[in-house]
Formats: sequence, structure tokens, C-alpha cells
Amino acid sequence: MENNNGSSPDRKLQCSDVSKCFQLLERILDGELVEEGEEILQVKLDKCQPCFAHFHLEQAIREVLKTKCTKQPLPDKLAESIRQMIQDPR
Amino acid sequence: MSEVQRRKYSQEERSAVFDGEFMPHIDSMYNFAFRLTFDEDDAKDLVQDTYMKAFRFINSFEQGTNAKAWLFRILKNSFINDYRKRSKKPATVDYQEVETFYNSDDVDYQSTSDLRAESVRDMLGDEISNALNGLAVDFRTVIILADLEGFTYEEMSKILDIPIGTVRSRLHRARHLLKDILKGYAQSMGYGRYEEEE
Repeated sequence: MENNNGSSPDRKLQCSDVSKCFQLLERILDGELVEEGEEILQVKLDKCQPCFAHFHLEQAIREVLKTKCTKQPLPDKLAESIRQMIQDPR
Repeated sequence: MSEVQRRKYSQEERSAVFDGEFMPHIDSMYNFAFRLTFDEDDAKDLVQDTYMKAFRFINSFEQGTNAKAWLFRILKNSFINDYRKRSKKPATVDYQEVETFYNSDDVDYQSTSDLRAESVRDMLGDEISNALNGLAVDFRTVIILADLEGFTYEEMSKILDIPIGTVRSRLHRARHLLKDILKGYAQSMGYGRYEEEE
């Protein structure tokens, strides 16, 4: 179980500023800190266990949302009826 | 993004813009509409209304700019103005009004600290979907826009008419609430499995 968690003896077990770090990691995952993101990320993931775990959890959540919540099947003929409506606006 | 008329398209240009730039987003639009309304017929009507409005106001759309964000903004506004009001569900508190009283320090990180990436990956589509649907509409919306549709904070700010700082804090809080729900599922997977096997 511990191994699955990716724990490493080099990482500290307590994060000194969880709120700030987690928000920063989320912004990096959202692609908002392109230039400085890579460097910050490397430090956080190498040195801090809570940041490491949070990053991987957030990454997993984004993956499952993207793969499991975007496949609502489009009703038959919706596209067709929209095209019809704009050709023949009442 | 504004409704100012930018140019007048010819009949052929209107069709080209509509087919080439608007229609390719219909799957994302329907998915968004369904996750807002939870009803196939309402979602269908909402998408149809949005496309009708997009066609009517096509002159205020500048070709080559972000059509998807423009359409999502119309859909979101139609939902708020037309659908949310007539919803049979009790009115939800408008989060925007109370949002300013919160700050990120209120988030209890301890409560979700034992949720693991592996447990989330093991969850079924229905569990993930129900967790997302369990969020209040304003929180659900930011997750849909960011994680399902990949909009940037700046695009979300324009779609939702809120400052980027609010996008950021609302998203952070929404993610925390989502993790809280997922943690509940993870616990029931771990402790409740034997009951299901019975």
C-alpha cells in the first residue's frame, strides 16, 4: 500500500503551507503556469510527500472526469433539426 | 465575446461559419447542457435554443475567434435565464453572493488527505459522474469547463462573467468538494464490498 502511494524517504511528510502549495499545483495542472510550472513542480514532487500525493490525485481525477464524463450520446436528429431550424427560421 | 455587431456576413458566409465553426462543438454543448439540466429533453431544447441564438447573433461573432467559448457563454446564459428559473428543484443559493465570505484557508485539506489516486482510477464511470452531478451548479460548471472541456481560466472568466481570481478560487473549492464526495465512495468501496457480494 505504501509503495503504491509512491512514498520516498527523501520527501518530508508534512507540508508547511498546504493551502498555497495545493492551489499552485492545481494551477500547474490546469496549464496556467507554463513557464515557471515545470521547475516548481520538480521541487515539490521531489521534496514533499503531501504535494506528491495531491498532485497525483488531482491528475487522476482530471483523467477520470475527461474519460468518463464526456460521452453523453447526442440524441438522434438533434444536429439535423438544428440545421432545419436555421434554414427555416420562424 | 461582446454582442456588438462586428460585421455583416453574406448568406453563404453565415452557413459556412455555422457549419464550420459552430456545429463541430455540438457534442460538447449537449454534454454541458445535460450536466446542467440532468434531463435529456431539457438539454436538447437548451442546445437548440443556443444554436438558434448563435445564428440570430452571428454578426456579433468574429470569424476565427474562439467559437466554442462564445457558444458556451450563450448556453450558460440561456440556462440561467430560461431553465434555472423554471426548474422544479428548489432554488439553490447563488454561490457568487456568499463566495466572498470564504477564502481558501477554510478548505479542510485533512478531510480528503487519505483519498488515493489509485482508488479514483478504480471507480466506475457512474460513480465519477454522480460525484460531479452531486456538486451545486456553480461548482459543477467550473469543473465541466476546466476538466471536461479544457477551457483556460481566461476563457472561463469570459464565459461566466466573473474575474479570473474568482474562477481560480471557485475551481479550487469545487475540486475539494468533489474529492470529499469521491472519498465517501472510496470508503464504501473499501468497507462495503462484502455486502454487495452477498
